Amino acid sequence: MKGLVKGLGVTLRNMTKKKVTYKYPDEPMKMPNRFRGVQHFEPEKCIVCNQCARICPTECITLTGKKNPDPESKVKLVIDTFDLNFEICILCDLCTEVCPTEAIVMTNNFELAAYSRDELFKDKEWLTANNTNVREENNVSLLKAKKGGAE
Amino acid sequence: MGELLTRPLTWGSFLTFFLMAVVLLLIILFMVTYAIYAERKILGYMQSRIGPNRTGKFGLLQTPADVLKLLIKEDVIPEKADRPLFKLAPVIAFVPSFVVLATIPYSEHMYFADLDIGVLYYVALSGLTVIGIVLGGWASNNKYALIGGMRSAAQLVSYAIPLVISAVGVVLMSGTMNLRGIVEGQAGWFWNWNFIPQILAFVVFVISAIAELNRTPFDLPEAESELVAGYHVEYSGFRFAFFMLTEYVYMIAMSALITTLFFGGWHAPAPFLEFIPGFIWFLLKFCGVFFFIIWLRGTMPRIRIDQLMSLGWRVLLPLSLGNIFVTAIVMEIVKAING
Amino acid sequence: MALRTEELLLNVGPQHPSTHGVFRIVVKIDGEIIKEATPVMGYLHRGTEKLAENLNYTQIIPYTDRMDYVSAMTNNYVLVSAVEKLMQLEVPERAEFLRVIVMELQRIASHLLWWGTYLLDIGAMSPFLFAFRDREIIIELFNELCGARLTYFYMRVGGVKWDAPDGWIQKVRDFVPYMRERLKLYDDLVSGNEIFLARIKGVGRYDAQTAIDYGLSGANLRCTGVKRDLRKDQPYSVYDRFEFDVPTRTEGDCYARYLLRIEEIKQSLRILEQAVEMFPEGPVMAKVPRVLRPPEGEVYSRVESPRGEIGCYVVSKGKDSPYRLKFRRPSFVNLQILPKLLVGESITNLITILGATDIVVGEVDA
Ligand code: SF4
Ligand code: SF4
Repeated sequence: MKGLVKGLGVTLRNMTKKKVTYKYPDEPMKMPNRFRGVQHFEPEKCIVCNQCARICPTECITLTGKKNPDPESKVKLVIDTFDLNFEICILCDLCTEVCPTEAIVMTNNFELAAYSRDELFKDKEWLTANNTNVREENNVSLLKAKKGGAE
Repeated sequence: MGELLTRPLTWGSFLTFFLMAVVLLLIILFMVTYAIYAERKILGYMQSRIGPNRTGKFGLLQTPADVLKLLIKEDVIPEKADRPLFKLAPVIAFVPSFVVLATIPYSEHMYFADLDIGVLYYVALSGLTVIGIVLGGWASNNKYALIGGMRSAAQLVSYAIPLVISAVGVVLMSGTMNLRGIVEGQAGWFWNWNFIPQILAFVVFVISAIAELNRTPFDLPEAESELVAGYHVEYSGFRFAFFMLTEYVYMIAMSALITTLFFGGWHAPAPFLEFIPGFIWFLLKFCGVFFFIIWLRGTMPRIRIDQLMSLGWRVLLPLSLGNIFVTAIVMEIVKAING
Repeated sequence: MALRTEELLLNVGPQHPSTHGVFRIVVKIDGEIIKEATPVMGYLHRGTEKLAENLNYTQIIPYTDRMDYVSAMTNNYVLVSAVEKLMQLEVPERAEFLRVIVMELQRIASHLLWWGTYLLDIGAMSPFLFAFRDREIIIELFNELCGARLTYFYMRVGGVKWDAPDGWIQKVRDFVPYMRERLKLYDDLVSGNEIFLARIKGVGRYDAQTAIDYGLSGANLRCTGVKRDLRKDQPYSVYDRFEFDVPTRTEGDCYARYLLRIEEIKQSLRILEQAVEMFPEGPVMAKVPRVLRPPEGEVYSRVESPRGEIGCYVVSKGKDSPYRLKFRRPSFVNLQILPKLLVGESITNLITILGATDIVVGEVDA
């Protein structure tokens, strides 16, 4: 009997305690900076090295390059198409980790719900436009270089 | 209202009865909707949540919306189900739950039927619901539903016995089975209310009542972690709504009955508080009992079926029987002393 | 007149509220008494081991996150420690401390989730929300550390991906007394509840010999009195530097397992407390080549996950992906005793016993 009464006491006392519910859809959720959300892509920075597509464990990146339309430039190749399939992307962070120029970076956006699978197929334009809440720390080795050498 | 019942039945009085029943039904529907809302809110608060708050102000429209959703949902009947019984079961379950409400005296002047056998009437009719539940469980042709229905039959039948027998103590004290009479016997200060002299009966009654209601910790027939949803697992849409309605109407009726039998019905706790209308007192006590049932749900785990049975037959039944003897003996002694 | 009765074949799962995922048991019942039980698994099989043969070592780590998704950190660790053993890498001290901290936090989170869902199985609703609320704090800590709430992918071969952000260690330090306070509340709410005790005491009992014969590990083994915890018996990472006990009980029933898990949370808190005090400075990543090519050889590495002993066997042929990878998944092994335990119990006890085993279906099926 004692245990039952104690338990009842706990729930009763809890009624007046502060509530912990997030106000989520009313107030946006603020994710910590390192949060791995939907990627942001900057075509100008991309050197079409294909590293991101190769490291991706689920092979959800497909990209093609094309000859640089500007013959003067030193850069031979520029990105033509860059597609990310969010049906299978596991947001593992590896693509942003290997990209040497930080052309592909993570954002803190996470709202991906869609009515159809087709909407989850994001192309270059969409990824470029997704430029809010971009994560500050992306490529760890580049970060060290920025900070000024190794610790 | 009472005198209407004694007059011969004419078309006019029939119409009055009918209209009153419809009005009561609407009131009950309203109450059930908000009982569910209250339950969800209270549970939420007990669990550091805020409960429904999206539909309407404070989520007040949430349960009406849910009810609406249930009503316009597709009515699915399993192919192998026994169709007539499947359709009949929710009705059989619901009707008694509504009918028992008639006997409860809500205040001195607000009652529907002034039956001399109120207590018996309540228990006898509420016993009918189990037929609906077993039928529903059987007719849906689902093993989980069948087990749920069987559990329900076992539970409701075995707990109805201590329920009645513990009520007998109260009946002995007030010398009547009329619920109005029982309430009138508890007038005066709150220590005249039956729950103090009949404390044993009160405890037994509350435990059996919660078991009768299929509420936590006795919610085995619909034990969702074992039987998924028990007897109503195949029901959807408005048929499911009927089972749900039954459960909550019973919860309301049982809270009202406990208030009537043990908490002095419409009486104020002290004579000088009588100026507040009886109905308010009734409502307050009713809410208290109702809250307690929800509170239990927020705290207790579920009991096991064999423990449930042995609790009913080995503990509650002897206790309630003993209570009758003690009550009778004490009453005789008191009578002898008072000459 | 003898009543004609029939046995009933009841399919529990794959979709069932208490199988915690897509797990199925076919039980033959007589009334409510189980005559025979056959677990059917494989509904969540994703072929992690086979997939791994075509992935390089770094790419496999996110897959381990998804095996035991309630305890991704220990899964990460078992793989990276296997590869590190094979390559004989020296991992920086700070990285090892971060690993220990996250693994112990993970153990607490995992036990909390178990505690909540177990009580939900038993029929109490509130503990679930209490436990999830406290688990949320740990998950937020992880989110801040590595940017994900469930599939962390935090550990890398040779270290960890991120150093602790500013103030993170302090948050862990604050968490310890908070959690101790909450555990008292949990005890008040549940541990003394007579209905709960009646439900789990003496249910699902087995002895030490049976447990060893079936290869059980974790709390499922320790509840029979066998004192075995890899953190103590075969210290990995920096566990040999901490002071903690390995709680055991001798009853061997669900109640013993329940108490053990609560006690393990307390021990994990002790480790956390010491780890944040001793937390060293330094790099968090060893010098590793860009492409990991462990030398030819085989290695078996095992750690104590919240569910028991998780092992990883790697066969390398000197390529950048393993020739063969095998995980010893504790949930899978612990489940084997289920058919034996269930015979003669009621359906209600099926849930009690299955819940107390603490399985994660992602890990059972891998
Ligand atoms: S986050 Fe991982 S899965 Fe997603 S695109 Fe990048 S590498 Fe592929
Ligand atoms: S790794 Fe970066 S630079 Fe290379 S192809 Fe991918 S996005 Fe472009």
